[in-house]
Amino acid sequence: MTATLPKSATAPGTVARGRTRRSGARMSTGRLVGIVAVAVVFTAPLVWMVLAAFKTNVQIGNPAEAVVFTPTLRNFGTVFEQGVFLPAMWNSVVVGVVSTALSAILAVPAAWAIGRFAMQRFGNWVLIARIIPAVSLLVPWYYLFAQLELVGGYTVLVLSHMFVSVPLITWIMIGFFAGLPVELEEAGRVDGLSAFGAFLRISLPLATAGTATACVLAAVFSWNNFMFALILSGENTKTLPVALFNFISYASVDWGGLMAAATLMSVPVVLAAVFGQKYLVAGLTAGATKG
Amino acid sequence: MLNRRGLLKAAGVGAVLASTGLPLAGCGNSAGGPDGDLRVVMANHVWTTAIRKRIPEFADLARRRVLVSTMTADQLSSTYNVKLNASAPDVDVMMYRPLQEQLLFARNGWLADLTDQVSGEPGYDWADFQPASRERTTVAGKVFGVPVVTERPTLYYRRDLVPDGRPPATLAEMFDTAVRLHNPAAGLHGFVGRGQRAGAVTMFSSYLYSFGGAFTAEGRSGIGTPEAIAAYGYYGRLLREAGPIGATNMTLEQVTPIFAQGKAVFAIDADAVYRNFIDPATSVVGDRTGFGAFPAGPAGSRPFNVPSWGLTINAFSERRDAAWEFIRWATSREMVLALQAEGVPGARLSAWRDPAALAKFPPELAASMTASIQTGVGADRPDVVQVGRARDIVGRPLVASILGQDVVAAAADASQQLDAFLVRDARQRKI
Amino acid sequence: MPAATLQQEQRRLKWAMLSPALFFIIAMIAFPLFYTAYLSTTDAFGAVNAHRSFLGLTNFSDALSDTRRFWPAVARTAVFTVAAVVLELCLGLAVAMLLRRPFGGMRWVRTILMVPLLATPVAVGVLWLLILDPTVGIANHLLGLVGIPPQPFLGSVAESLPTLVLIDVWQWTPMMTLLLLAGLSTLPEEPEEAALIDGASGWQRFRLVTVPMLMPVIITSLVLRSVDALKTFDLIYATKGPGGGSSNEAETLNVYAYGLTFDYQEYGLAASVLVLFTVFIVLIVIALRRRSAKDQP
Repeated sequence: MTATLPKSATAPGTVARGRTRRSGARMSTGRLVGIVAVAVVFTAPLVWMVLAAFKTNVQIGNPAEAVVFTPTLRNFGTVFEQGVFLPAMWNSVVVGVVSTALSAILAVPAAWAIGRFAMQRFGNWVLIARIIPAVSLLVPWYYLFAQLELVGGYTVLVLSHMFVSVPLITWIMIGFFAGLPVELEEAGRVDGLSAFGAFLRISLPLATAGTATACVLAAVFSWNNFMFALILSGENTKTLPVALFNFISYASVDWGGLMAAATLMSVPVVLAAVFGQKYLVAGLTAGATKG
Repeated sequence: MLNRRGLLKAAGVGAVLASTGLPLAGCGNSAGGPDGDLRVVMANHVWTTAIRKRIPEFADLARRRVLVSTMTADQLSSTYNVKLNASAPDVDVMMYRPLQEQLLFARNGWLADLTDQVSGEPGYDWADFQPASRERTTVAGKVFGVPVVTERPTLYYRRDLVPDGRPPATLAEMFDTAVRLHNPAAGLHGFVGRGQRAGAVTMFSSYLYSFGGAFTAEGRSGIGTPEAIAAYGYYGRLLREAGPIGATNMTLEQVTPIFAQGKAVFAIDADAVYRNFIDPATSVVGDRTGFGAFPAGPAGSRPFNVPSWGLTINAFSERRDAAWEFIRWATSREMVLALQAEGVPGARLSAWRDPAALAKFPPELAASMTASIQTGVGADRPDVVQVGRARDIVGRPLVASILGQDVVAAAADASQQLDAFLVRDARQRKI
Repeated sequence: MPAATLQQEQRRLKWAMLSPALFFIIAMIAFPLFYTAYLSTTDAFGAVNAHRSFLGLTNFSDALSDTRRFWPAVARTAVFTVAAVVLELCLGLAVAMLLRRPFGGMRWVRTILMVPLLATPVAVGVLWLLILDPTVGIANHLLGLVGIPPQPFLGSVAESLPTLVLIDVWQWTPMMTLLLLAGLSTLPEEPEEAALIDGASGWQRFRLVTVPMLMPVIITSLVLRSVDALKTFDLIYATKGPGGGSSNEAETLNVYAYGLTFDYQEYGLAASVLVLFTVFIVLIVIALRRRSAKDQP
């Protein structure tokens, strides 16, 4: 049993559609049970978190009231009355989108170069950035950016998030580009494309699944990043985690508030994921190399 | 040229250039200059909540914008650490813990000397601050901070469960009652208290003092003495025989819900957080909760009475005068009185002597607090520069005791370590 | 087209594509890296600017001979990482295979799967702290309903690290699943169909056809997740507090280095631990890459 190489790349869309129709809706009970189990295991704690957002602290500490209880909205009130939620969310969006986009622009070509030309050593170098623990970065970075008078602005936040995202996207994409057969690009060259053109028009589209996944992951990491934002952000550029998680009070018994904050932080991302699913799914099922 | 050699050379040169010749000495990053906005950094605390409402008043008075950042104590610590190490000028007024950070920050030269300011104005009345608190913010004769909150441990107890509805007067009595009433199967624990090493050491200090022990004595370790061992042993037994499971991971945040859910008879913790125990939104037993003075040990009732938080000025700030104005406003007699009346225990004696202000606290609590102010010890942790390490060393026998291990051996071992540590630490104390 | 020009064009292109990312990373990392290395040779304490003396490699020898904190931290880091990553890989692959073929509601299951990943690590830590609280948490409540006595979970010295591994697995398996799903989707169908025609069982198809083809993605996901798992911090700090708990039961190298920096202000020693930590990780990555290179033809 050997992997046969596809003779040519066909248009992704057509075959995928055919496949979906063929697979149909018949699913074994085993598979169904498995999927349900997976869904339950991964969501149950989060369901608890969302429920807790509607409880008073007394109710949270009472397991008997886990599911049946009288809900309250005051936790959300506490979160919103800080007056920082919407501005902070905007900041998180700006920083997240910009840093992910810029990171992709830097990282995807780099990953192609490393994967396509087997430049292992540089793959490792890129990973080094991800290896360095954040602790050793804080003081030098703060000092550096303070000297450049960048502290508190969007630039420094985007830069620090990019520092996390570029290695991530690069690393993920290396695998995808390495898995693409060289013949495809060479066929493109024969057809008259330049080397860059071959990358742009052949390899890149085929790696869409990986690109989409990598960018989603990078955006998520950026959204949740706390440490860098705590130190480097200013009054007007506070991102959501900093704005929300610093209101835990002394003897932080405000579990309800914390759970409400965490829920609110997750809502935009989940919504984006639900609506972005379309593109992700298309990328995941369509990008196959077919023969 | 885009080949490997060229690339590596350029990278190397760039990296070396970028990293050498950049000593982290303070250089001006203006952050607004002397007329810029005043930046105040505070910890989440009842005091902060109370003062925050009034800050717009100050902003009007001073005709200057005030930017307030609040965060948890941990985040505050790391923020100060990073920013002050980089000599940041973008913090003016800092809320800090005199017992945790005073010596270190003073030694590092990170705090402005306030001696002239506090004694400069007759109306300010620096002498009105509790002597022990004043001492703690003074290092080598210089005043570096102004205390804003004082705390003492208080006994929270269930009036409906204790015999005669009275709080126990001695630690031995409390132990007996707790063990007797301890019934985990029915969901009731005799006693609940902190057990996670980092946070437990401060609470434990009161037990240590009440058994006649001390963390240090004349520059040498005091935790190997029989009194100290007795105190460690007591606290460990209390948690083991009358406490909830998983005690060694319990912080204040976990102690409070257990008592507030009605699952404990006694709890001993800071008095400043009393509202969490009686507020109906956080507690089902608020109406049945009583407050008592710290029970007496063999050496009497010797709780700590410490300035848990204070205000200071960043030495690198460009707005020191404005910063002092803020501190003066926030710690004036009138302000402290007003805050005390809202339930924030301050550091001024005048506020403590005012019956109207005291009346806002539940009567039992007010009595227990005033008593503790008289008998209280001014420190709840070792008086050293490197508080973190010291805390971990003295906390080890405590954890050993809670886990039921050999306390005597653990205390002896820790005591040796503490001795060695104190020698090293003494060298760091030069201001 | 003459071969030489083609080669040159390719070489120029690949460096042009790689340099921006490389320069960016080096620019951001150079100063901290050299600064940390410098600090590790001093006895910097309290303030990084304060007077300090040059110690040469003393910090390193101190750290490497420290059997109280350093080596146990190394051991815990290794145990935690290996356990978590192996579980995440196996479970992630299993779930990916489960979700591979399209089915009704697939979009929703994929979204649901992502949610643990989307939640902030700090919040996840506190969430589990609440759920697993020995006295008021819902976990023990549920266990009690089936007759199991209450467990200390994070409150126990012995149970803490395993519990943390399981929480980590819960949070990060979805990431592995997502990456592996993406990888699976790029695999050609012919080999598996050919194997099916040849009479191979499902398990044989999986082991002998799918996995080898998926190997590049498996390796990259493994390395990526390992690097992150080695550095796990938020989860441990939120659930166990400073120092990895009262008996340092969950203190991994990153937690130890953080404690040295922010709790103890011993910057020289902290820097040396960080340098050693980085070196360890680099060695592990190199070892993993060597293994994978051996597996590839």
